[in-house]
Amino acid sequence: MKNSISFSKIAIHGLIILFIIFLLFPLLWVVASSLKSTQEIYSGAPTILPQHISFDHYLSVINGQQIFRSMWNSIVVGVVSTIIVILIAVPSAYAMVRYKSKVNNAILGWILVSQIFPVILVMIPLYVLLRYIGLTDSLTGLTLIYVVWSLPFVLWIMHGYVKSIPIELEEAAVLDGASRSQVIFKVLMPLLLPAIGASALFAFISAWNEFFFALVLMKSPTLATLQVELARYTGMEGQARTGPLAAASVIATIPSILLFIFMRKWLTKGLISGALKG
Amino acid sequence: MKRNIYIVLILLVGTILFFLLTRKNNNHQNIPLRFVSLAWQEGTIATNKSIVNEWNAAHPDIQVEYIQGTWNSAHDYLITAFETGDVPDIFHYESSVIIDYAMRGYLTDLSPYISSEMKNDILDVAWATVTRPNGEVDGIPFLIESLVVLYNKSLFKKEGIIPPTIEYPWTWDDLQSAARKMTKDTNGDGVIDQYGAGLGLRNSANIIMNTSISFGGSFFKKEGNHFVVKVNDEEKKLLQTIVDMLYKDKSVSPASIGETGAGMIPGLFSGRYAMLVGIGSWGRQQLVENAPKEFQWGVMPPIKAKTQTYGASTQTLSIPKKSKRAKEAMMFIDFMLSSKNTARLALNDWMIPARISCLSMPEFKDKIGGWDITCSAVSTLSIGSWLGAPGYVEWKSRVANPVLQELFAGRMSIDDAARRIEHESNIVLSRYKKRGEVW
Repeated sequence: MKNSISFSKIAIHGLIILFIIFLLFPLLWVVASSLKSTQEIYSGAPTILPQHISFDHYLSVINGQQIFRSMWNSIVVGVVSTIIVILIAVPSAYAMVRYKSKVNNAILGWILVSQIFPVILVMIPLYVLLRYIGLTDSLTGLTLIYVVWSLPFVLWIMHGYVKSIPIELEEAAVLDGASRSQVIFKVLMPLLLPAIGASALFAFISAWNEFFFALVLMKSPTLATLQVELARYTGMEGQARTGPLAAASVIATIPSILLFIFMRKWLTKGLISGALKG
Repeated sequence: MKRNIYIVLILLVGTILFFLLTRKNNNHQNIPLRFVSLAWQEGTIATNKSIVNEWNAAHPDIQVEYIQGTWNSAHDYLITAFETGDVPDIFHYESSVIIDYAMRGYLTDLSPYISSEMKNDILDVAWATVTRPNGEVDGIPFLIESLVVLYNKSLFKKEGIIPPTIEYPWTWDDLQSAARKMTKDTNGDGVIDQYGAGLGLRNSANIIMNTSISFGGSFFKKEGNHFVVKVNDEEKKLLQTIVDMLYKDKSVSPASIGETGAGMIPGLFSGRYAMLVGIGSWGRQQLVENAPKEFQWGVMPPIKAKTQTYGASTQTLSIPKKSKRAKEAMMFIDFMLSSKNTARLALNDWMIPARISCLSMPEFKDKIGGWDITCSAVSTLSIGSWLGAPGYVEWKSRVANPVLQELFAGRMSIDDAARRIEHESNIVLSRYKKRGEVW
């Protein structure tokens, strides 16, 4: 019995390690490529680790393209759109759950339907609308698009979380003399924090990774976002400046990794509670 | 309660203020012309920017803003721009795609703006790629994309094979025979580790179409005002040659089937392939910049089938119809594509300059980098009969590339592939026929 348990444990751990290697390999490959010389990248006998470490590609990225400016643009639109999405989604979800109305189901249905439309279908009408109000080629316009794009899904997630919190908790607080805002900020908010964290992460990553809207809406070179900047390292017929692209990708990954590290507790809690209570 | 409301209000007002303060001011008195370039190599980007800076210094009243686009997303970017009317004033692309845009009415006819100097100095074959039968010119061609064969000089020497010269070019039989001779199991483990040739066959329509001309084929035939696709004996002969090299002689590496020309280059460095057949002339840049120092390579003149004539396309600068400053934009193009600047762009992109005056410059006759042989092939270049076929771009991606991929992967015979190409092509083309688009 003991032997079989230890064998199954070893097998499970072995599989987990293999899975982690599988997940980490692309990242390792990108980091290694960013540290190889161009000749080494194109050599006929590729190696996983660089034989001679070179920072030339990092220097080329830092000196040549506007990587830090584009990263700043991505951070601005990502953070601001996330804040707005959360500010709108949390009270909206609360209202939809606690104030019963006949239109609630219709709203939820519309949220689901809105996710069906492909980007390319809405691009031209959205562009025309934004141009009409003078928001093309501006970070404001792009942020608004990201808010509109993420809001339905975040609202859907928050709706599920708020619904899972028993109303009795709020009633008990009211009986103890708490006002409506105290109920919201002192009782409900602490319970919603993991969900807010997970939703914020979703909204931020969606904005961070988005390419097509940023490409089409941002005409000025100084307003390019990170994803658009990275695409500029690729060329025609499958060619790419592999070394600089790898270096730029590594630099681009750093903010996302930092964000995940800071928010991983919230994210895990948020995902688990959503899974159990949805 | 009140405190919390204030916090929320402050956050909202702060966000709105942030937007208002960071919002871009679009009320420029003198809005620069927007130039979208698809240059992507470090040197070419620098050259483009440098030319734009030179223009801006000399023309303070007509400034140009350089915008770097990308090849992979250029089509979506431009289509959205054309449809919404928010267009760049000048854009860089390639002839096979701008033909489609011209037929949809997106482009300015540049013929009234072209100077006689430019008209006379650009090669006829380059003009042919952008000129409609009614004389309308939809872009200014400046770089010519042609196919070349690159080879490993050391391997040729080791195997005792004399490479072809401009005076004594190879036929496809010569190429096949040399490839067979150089295909070897060098370490005796029973597995071939040195192939005579590699071809980037992942999206092979381009290579096949342009090479088919030398076999006397064309795929596209004109019937009245419309095009039909026919795969006759000439086209089948080219397909048969490649299939034989892949499966009968086994002298073409099977890795070719899933790779692009660019992806095959490391194999040329390592000696896995003795030749890279049908790669764009830009491939030489990769060799110059990335090859190991001891690697010696050369360029072959066009391989002869019935003739040495190959199809070519061009890179172009165009002006959208919705640009309100076509005249000024054309002044910039005139400057950007002067003989001197065209030479700078061609040297950096390792492509043939479209201007006759550039071809006589010593840089384009240099043996180093294979410029002499690459540029001498200009006289053998031609345009394919598919030029101006409505739906050609869709045909390439929906019909030709997938069917050829299956053929070269050994999943169908040449006759089956021919039947499928003809059948599926004519479904795609008939849709365009109904739209009434004519080149």
